[in-house]
Amino acid sequence: MLSEQAAKVLGELRAGNRTDEQLAEICADLLNADGLAVSLVLDMGHTELVWCHGTASAQFEDLQFTLGEGPGPDALASGHPVRVPDLAEVRPGRWPALLGALDGLPVRAVFAFPLGLGAIQVGVLTVVRNGPRALSAQETDDATALARLLTARFLGGGQGSNPQVLHRAVVHQATGMVSVQLDRPLAEALMRLRAYAYAHGRPITEVAQDVVARRLRFNDDETGPDVPVGDRG
Amino acid sequence: MELADSLIDDFDVIEFLQGLSARCVELLEISAAGIMLGDEHGELHTIAASDENTHLLELFAIQHDQGPCVDTFRGGGQRTNIDLTDPEATAAFPHFAQQARRNGFAVTHALPLRLRTRMVGALNLFHTESGSLTPENIALAQALADIATIAVLQQRTLEQTYIERDQLQAALTSRIVIEQAKGILAERWNTSLDDAFDRFRSYARNNGLRMSDLARQIIDKGTQHSALS
Repeated sequence: MLSEQAAKVLGELRAGNRTDEQLAEICADLLNADGLAVSLVLDMGHTELVWCHGTASAQFEDLQFTLGEGPGPDALASGHPVRVPDLAEVRPGRWPALLGALDGLPVRAVFAFPLGLGAIQVGVLTVVRNGPRALSAQETDDATALARLLTARFLGGGQGSNPQVLHRAVVHQATGMVSVQLDRPLAEALMRLRAYAYAHGRPITEVAQDVVARRLRFNDDETGPDVPVGDRG
Repeated sequence: MELADSLIDDFDVIEFLQGLSARCVELLEISAAGIMLGDEHGELHTIAASDENTHLLELFAIQHDQGPCVDTFRGGGQRTNIDLTDPEATAAFPHFAQQARRNGFAVTHALPLRLRTRMVGALNLFHTESGSLTPENIALAQALADIATIAVLQQRTLEQTYIERDQLQAALTSRIVIEQAKGILAERWNTSLDDAFDRFRSYARNNGLRMSDLARQIIDKGTQHSALS
């Protein structure tokens, strides 16, 4: 059952006096986590990052978003929590691209809790730790309560149901720009951004920032794709 | 203990709600708490209580036709800090107030178990001492009611939830398409995102269009959109 600290955090969440950013931080602290993220399901398996605390957590979400695999996508697909107390112990075949891309990222333990009702998934709460530490029984209870309250918050239609910040606004802006550069639909432009990020081992938000700053263009011309502006003759 | 079996068929959830009721009492420093769920006829049934005291359960049971939970369940709003000794405050449920006073309670609160327009039930709190719940404690009580709501709804098959999720998705998607349209226009006009957005917003205002609708037009019509090409 709920801890005292969790009750305090849940009250804060319901009271509506804090920003999403502050709430993400106090939720991370509650769960003794180094990072915490909430992504909501859009459609066709796409998710949008709406709450985030910690840069490692943001990068981990970006990786899952770029690669389409990991504890978060699995929690969404199954409707059950996915608990990974030590990523180093996971067999490589489970998330081959993700595990291969984690180098240098201070994320060692990941816990993904689906937000949803029955078969309907609304989003996923992802908690990360920089060391191989499992969630205690109390922390698991608190995280489960938190996931339920977040489900109510995002489905509730009231204050707080519309997130304050789109963490990937720059990705959407870049998608628009790339779609014009390639004269292709947005979905394809986003796919190209993801593929580029994956191929170059870079976070998708960083690649998107390059596009928006016009340091990187996507062109299908004779010089080949993905020619940075600065490198052109 | 009356268990409304048809309302909920997973004993784990009932146990969870009982635990939650007991935790309400500890966290809010009150005397008793109970959770009532509405059936398909709009009638309330006790599903969990902080303790199995018979008098307390009777107090919940008489709320099938009157009481703060009935008001909350029918009206959808919170009913907090109801002074059980005040005839005016209890005018709508005199029998309930009398029973509650006999049990030694001075104050009661009812908070909705609700998701958007869907009423699920009510959380009922009692205190033997007079005095009000602080705004912080009311927020906490509502958070606990929300958690109970989701725990209950997670056990039911819900078609309506698709609509609720669609509304959430629509709100998010509207914001995403605006960002995408900013990128499209910035690239098309070879200008900054801010400048593109300013011109986009002015155009929407001058033409009485919602920004998300205009953004969708730009995306759907590609470079063919006449006014913003």
